[in-house]
Amino acid sequence: MANVATFEAGTAQLLMGNEGIARGALEAGIGFASAYPGNPSSEIIGTLADVAADAGIYVEWSINEKVALEAAAAAAFAGVRSICAMKHNGLNVVLDFLMGLNVTGTKAGLVLVTCDDPGALSSTEEEDSRPVAKWACVPLLEPATFQEEKDMTRWAFELSEQFKTMFLLRGVTRTSHARGDVRIGERLPPNREARFTVDVPLQYTAIPAPPKHMAAHQRQERIREVFEEAPFNWYQGPEKPELLIATCGSGWFYSIEAVRALKAEDRVGILKLGTTWPLPEKLVRRNLARAEKVLVVEEIDPFLENNLKELVGEDPAAVGPKKFYGKRSGHIPSAGEINPDIVTAALAKILDIEHAPVDPDYSQKALALTSFFVHPRMVGFCAGCPHRATFWSVKNALKLDGRDGFVTGDIGCYTMAVGPTGFWQLKTAQAMGSAAGMACGFGNLKGLGFKQPVIAACGDSTFFHATIPALISGIYNKADYILLVLDNSATAMTGFQPHPGTGRTATGGPAPAIDIADVCRALGVRTEVTDPFDLQGTTEKLLDLLEDDGKVRVLVSRRECQLVRARREKAPYVMRVDQEKCIGETCGCARLCTRVFQCPGLIWDAAKGAARIDEVICAGCGVCADICSAGAIIREAAQ
Amino acid sequence: MSPDIKGGRQLLADVINRDLCSLCGACVGMCPYLTAYKGRVVALDDCNLDQGRCYAFCPRTTTDLDAASRAVFGAPYDAGPIGKARDVFMTRSAAGDVRSRGQYGGTVSALAAFALERGLIDSAVLTATGGGMLPEGTLVRAASEVIGCARSNYVAAPTLAAFNREARREDVAKVGVVATPCQALALAKMRASPLENRNNADKLGPVIGLFCTWALRYQEFARFLREKVALNEIKKFDIPPPPANVFQVFSDSTSLSIPLDDVRGFIRNTCNLCLDMTAELADVSVGAAEGVEGWNTLIVRSDRGAELVEAARAAGVLEVDALPDENLNHLKGASLGKRRRAFANIAAMTGSESDLLYLDISDELRRRLVEGE
Repeated sequence: MANVATFEAGTAQLLMGNEGIARGALEAGIGFASAYPGNPSSEIIGTLADVAADAGIYVEWSINEKVALEAAAAAAFAGVRSICAMKHNGLNVVLDFLMGLNVTGTKAGLVLVTCDDPGALSSTEEEDSRPVAKWACVPLLEPATFQEEKDMTRWAFELSEQFKTMFLLRGVTRTSHARGDVRIGERLPPNREARFTVDVPLQYTAIPAPPKHMAAHQRQERIREVFEEAPFNWYQGPEKPELLIATCGSGWFYSIEAVRALKAEDRVGILKLGTTWPLPEKLVRRNLARAEKVLVVEEIDPFLENNLKELVGEDPAAVGPKKFYGKRSGHIPSAGEINPDIVTAALAKILDIEHAPVDPDYSQKALALTSFFVHPRMVGFCAGCPHRATFWSVKNALKLDGRDGFVTGDIGCYTMAVGPTGFWQLKTAQAMGSAAGMACGFGNLKGLGFKQPVIAACGDSTFFHATIPALISGIYNKADYILLVLDNSATAMTGFQPHPGTGRTATGGPAPAIDIADVCRALGVRTEVTDPFDLQGTTEKLLDLLEDDGKVRVLVSRRECQLVRARREKAPYVMRVDQEKCIGETCGCARLCTRVFQCPGLIWDAAKGAARIDEVICAGCGVCADICSAGAIIREAAQ
Repeated sequence: MSPDIKGGRQLLADVINRDLCSLCGACVGMCPYLTAYKGRVVALDDCNLDQGRCYAFCPRTTTDLDAASRAVFGAPYDAGPIGKARDVFMTRSAAGDVRSRGQYGGTVSALAAFALERGLIDSAVLTATGGGMLPEGTLVRAASEVIGCARSNYVAAPTLAAFNREARREDVAKVGVVATPCQALALAKMRASPLENRNNADKLGPVIGLFCTWALRYQEFARFLREKVALNEIKKFDIPPPPANVFQVFSDSTSLSIPLDDVRGFIRNTCNLCLDMTAELADVSVGAAEGVEGWNTLIVRSDRGAELVEAARAAGVLEVDALPDENLNHLKGASLGKRRRAFANIAAMTGSESDLLYLDISDELRRRLVEGE
């Protein structure tokens, strides 16, 4: 990643959106940054962690988002500008604290960045963070360009400190992960003395509630006035367009593209808004008055759309009658990620322009052109991933146990076990810590005739993040379940960030390594540790734990993430398939390795009627040798 | 290729999921998909083949009894009351220590050990009782190992899994099997199978059949028994002849008589649909000689069986005597009774006189089986 701390002011740099946010925070003179990793937000704090020493700031990966915001707020209470970043799910975790922090206010600038994932490209669900701003009375900014990622972040700190309240900055996958040119500005030094002082009684509490609540609303009105003049809102287009597009964030790029694609520049105007809550009412009304038809283009929910309708409803005479198009009208889908094609199609429909969308055969043609370079592959665990081995044993143990047991799921790489890569083992997947939480319920239904064994699967980072309360609740209430901790010694899915179990901090320094098995043993529950690559041993341990029922038991399936290991050392084995021995599709195998086990390192050689190793992909873990009943997969120690 | 032979998915649908599995083990040990575990056949993964040996060998998939009989005896099914019977004797092992460790007269142990010693077979697949009363098949190579597998289990054992798994070894050429009636039927189906992959059918030596009225479901029965006795200490089970109506358990420290009706609840469903009390497709069949302490009833069925018995008698390892008529008549009555109950139970299950579940037999053969002709 770029060293955003050492860029010279005045230069232009090619930055990922998240790097722009990190640079903006440095330019604002932050002294403190915290987060729990989550796509698409992870690179914000990751970038700051990499330059922490150069920049003279403190950066941490916290145990979860709530702790991250609490820590960042504390630094801000002590007079240090602080940034906290998370994905949309993280914002949910934070809410209990946020709903007090919003009225408490802050001393130094405090910016919370929340990155949404339209289309849930790397999430279990898609969610719009923005309603929280309205609900919690927190000002909201939505950058649309890479320059704005940086500049709005910096600006948010200034306003946050001026108005003594936290600010929310919302990004989406495209604004976070795409790259563009950013003109670098001067950095303010983080040369603040951190000191906590209370100037007014109850200053750092939400008490008394109604007056502070009222004060928050009054503050919001003053911020609205500032937003009226913000450089991040503007109109472009004819004086009286036939159609006005109101947009924010990534929708702005798509809107420009769509207008150009349809050559509709003289018919369509674009109102681009960067300050989406509270809305700059005067500016919005002024521009809404330009046209009768309004198309709202935004990611995920009709947040802007509904707020515009609210404004129109408050004073219809001020803007005249309006016909709104957007998510409610069905012109823009209410789910999934939007893109230029979607916006172009909506625009063409409204303007009645003959529009030839993409060639219907486009995807076939693209596939034909590219399939030579890219193998078709399902979403799945990497070659050599310990999770594949763990779920193989889980599947077998539950089948052998025969009581229709099942696995409750959690959030991490292993969430993919809802599908074929984990042999469809995960039956639920909601939130961090929910596997154990749900098991607390399933595990206490015995009196109502429930007889199925329950295994709650969580990762090592998830264990620390949100599983511990559910584990203790289960122990306390004598719930009947097995907690299966898939300990791969990394926050793998988000980019191998360290966590309390890894012995390293965000900035690379040493840290106490908290042993998950020790934590569980200290809670007084039977705790076993297994190596997932020992398929038989893991299956036997699971079977034994399944029989030892009536209480919480723990199995820690411990093996380092293959991608982390591969950075450090060579593969332990060289694998090959003896194609003479392989019985392939015949009775006795039916392609177990390539059809069921489905490690991407194993491929079907149709010409030979046998499996073979894809030596480019194979990680040399050796596990598949143990699933081949014909003994055709050979494991040889690497030289 | 027979259209009656289907694949693993259909085996699950037709047999296992309908609780028709007898846990003979014939479908296990040939592939990574099916395994036997604590009294159940378990499908670990989904096999997508349209045809498989599992389905071909299973005694509860479509079964042509005439074809199975031809594979063993070279003749259509003998519907006599106890199946094809060249001779019926009363026998026992000539060795007192074998008799004392056997269930009744040690005949099975004597024959199996003799066949190994003589080199008539190089291995035998027997049923050993492991920890916690759990029985499983095992391949023995020496006569001295046979006696460790003596005594009746009464719990269904996937013995044929060991035949499937072990007999493919290169150092194994001829394998004898001690089999319950469903296992003997499965072995006959292996020999009759039209599939290209015959597994180990060509290595199959003499099959010593065991009389059987039913077998128990392991897990439920073990749970029931565990409350009464330490499973690892159990030495012997027995069901004395009527009118006792008890199930006896002998262990190191105690002996129990459990009302037979308490045990019947653990009988595998499929046993009620089984026609065969005396292992009619074995080379020889052995059971108790009711009311004659320390002796067995032995039915000689095939040439191969006759040669084995005669050689064992000539070598002095097997004592042979005449079976009293009363015993033979009682045996025939009991055997026919089981057949008739099975047909009645099958009809009750299918709700139709013409749907015989797994039996692919002519109306004529059915009539003769019921009548014992």
